[in-house]
Amino acid sequence: MWPYVLRKLLYNIPVYLGILLIVMVALRVNDPVWAHLGSKTRGTAGAQERYETKRTEMGLDRPFAAQYAAFVGQVATLDFDARSWDRPTETVGAMLRRAIIPTLMITVPSLVLTTVISICIGLVASYFRGGWADRTLMLLAVLGMSISYVVYIILGQYFAAYKLREWAGVELFAIQGYEPGIANWPYYCLLPVLIGVVVAVGYDTRYYRAVMVEETTRDYIATARAKGATKPRIMFVHMLKNAMIPVISRVMISVPFLIEGSILLEFYFNIPGMGKTMIEAIIHKDFPVIQAFTAVLAGLFIVSNILTDVLYAWVDPRVRLS
Amino acid sequence: MITLGRFFRSRASRKFRKDRMAVVSMAVIGLYVLIGLAGFVGLISIGDALERAGPDSTTGFFQDQTPEKRLRDARFWREIAERALRRENPQAAIREAAFFERALAPLPPAEVTTLVREADGLYNAVADHFDEATEARLMIEELQKQPTPDPAAIAEQAAAREKAQAAAAAALTELERVTLRLFPIPDGWRGTLYHFRTFLGTDRQGRSISMRGLYSVRIALQVGLVVGLVSLTIGALLGAAAAFFGGWVDHAVTWLYSTFSSIPELVLLSLIAYVFQGWNFVDELIPVYAALSLTFWIGPCRVIRGEVMKIRELEYVQAATAIGFRRWYIMLRHVLPNTAHLMLITFSLLFIAAVKAEVILTFLGLGVKNGASWGIMIGQSRQEVINGFLWQIGVATVLMFFLVLAFNILTDALQDAFDPKHVGK
Repeated sequence: MWPYVLRKLLYNIPVYLGILLIVMVALRVNDPVWAHLGSKTRGTAGAQERYETKRTEMGLDRPFAAQYAAFVGQVATLDFDARSWDRPTETVGAMLRRAIIPTLMITVPSLVLTTVISICIGLVASYFRGGWADRTLMLLAVLGMSISYVVYIILGQYFAAYKLREWAGVELFAIQGYEPGIANWPYYCLLPVLIGVVVAVGYDTRYYRAVMVEETTRDYIATARAKGATKPRIMFVHMLKNAMIPVISRVMISVPFLIEGSILLEFYFNIPGMGKTMIEAIIHKDFPVIQAFTAVLAGLFIVSNILTDVLYAWVDPRVRLS
Repeated sequence: MITLGRFFRSRASRKFRKDRMAVVSMAVIGLYVLIGLAGFVGLISIGDALERAGPDSTTGFFQDQTPEKRLRDARFWREIAERALRRENPQAAIREAAFFERALAPLPPAEVTTLVREADGLYNAVADHFDEATEARLMIEELQKQPTPDPAAIAEQAAAREKAQAAAAAALTELERVTLRLFPIPDGWRGTLYHFRTFLGTDRQGRSISMRGLYSVRIALQVGLVVGLVSLTIGALLGAAAAFFGGWVDHAVTWLYSTFSSIPELVLLSLIAYVFQGWNFVDELIPVYAALSLTFWIGPCRVIRGEVMKIRELEYVQAATAIGFRRWYIMLRHVLPNTAHLMLITFSLLFIAAVKAEVILTFLGLGVKNGASWGIMIGQSRQEVINGFLWQIGVATVLMFFLVLAFNILTDALQDAFDPKHVGK
């Protein structure tokens, strides 16, 4: 097992170095300092000095190879001491630490809820394969997939946060905002999480149904049936266990989708997580923040990829040999 | 031509054509393509989508306007007429005051002035009646709050309120008649065009929602088509080359796509959108195309690479090698065409992804900046939705829904028909 884990880690190092390279090159295509100061200020009094200060501050005047080495070193030692350009009082590291908790508050519950709900629906659909329940569920999934995420967010907020107040007179969900603490979680985070789940369930259900349907054609199912096991027992005991591999891979495949969702949800519901910070940094052209956040997000993503592979190998010993 | 004929007679395409849902969705897509072409040849111009068509936030055909809104609309038309009268040359200004088909009636300025005065008087009358009705309502509430409500007094106030409302309604109808004399609704096909322009309402800036929605069809098709084709070309060529040549080419391509796919899609999209900020392009959709294509080539690359891995071992490839064709020729002539079914499916998936991603990018402020697109419509409707006005978001969503749904069904049918490994019904 351990050699396999090590192999995976080693394989992902060049990939991560490549990501850092792409990110750094992409951010330097346009001069990031002028982009931040606004190219119209070029030539005005004092602009050149400010430009030079910022440039040396971020080390942008050094050759690219030196900058690359320095940034790789910073990422490797998790040392994000650069100051944000947009909010000069804060370091990037502090912004990262502050943003990570709200993001987890949104993503982890959505991931768990989505997976549980869609596996259940997928099982039900494949159990009644071809019947009206199956067809209705799959039709709903396709219909749900055809509506934009953004529309779910806007209308979800309108109906669950504004309209519910008018109709029922209770304030179940905040319109937007975020307060730390578990006690505040349902008020601020439950609605975004639910919206994320509704969007993701459509995609996942279709996948899980296909997995289950494929699994029903296997020989061990025929064996179990020949031995007289009941259909529900075959579905929920024999099949579910064997379907775990595609389930794990799907859960991990949905991580980027989750990040995407959390960016939109945080942006709209004004939750100060990583996605919102990142998008705001892009809008304000806050170069140090964009660079560090992209690197960290990609790093987290790679870690989740490695975790998938390891889990895979753990569940299915055949994988280790390939 | 022979290949096309063979394609249509093949078992897979016969299976596809038997799928009734798939044929319906093809028809829906055809309809969208026609609308898109109308946008492309200029039947629906950008002006239709961006210029004022009348008062703001009017509702569509099946939702009645509230009396207050009708009063505001009447004031809007009156003010346009007044503005024309205040100009140095009222005669010319009257001829110019128009919102597409609905124009100020070409009357002499004196007559317009009379009508405007009449409208002004009626406006004040309606407003007064509204005030009376509100006053009566407040009185009723006050009376009901008392410990022993007096039914007679309440009934009296209720009657007064009803009377005020009836008077307001009558005056409002009269006011609208005057407005119609100022701004007559045209007859004939111009009238039809006017009704078409307003039947789904107008947005906060008074622009026609139907026209904005239809113009956006063109943008969506353009984005889907360009992004689909570009990313498919990049992905298929890289993937096929990687699998077919193997060795360092394969290593390089695998590294490239692992790297690109290890950046979360939306982060990569935003990053590329950031890179293109501040550049000026001939067509401002180019940054959107570039960001999406540079992100979406990974999917086709992976799929085609896997398929070519299998194909390159087949006899006909060996035969071609034995004849002595060059490697590149074999790849382009013998290998890639045999992945056409996968390309078709992938293109369909890419199209959906591109249309949806445009909305998300634009919503985040990184996509289409000016003009009209479903992303802009949905992004703008944030403020309208808070005020309970759902027409703009509704129209954009419904239009996008049917296009994406048709493509979703089409993709499923294509997979059922052309991909033997796919688990379908």
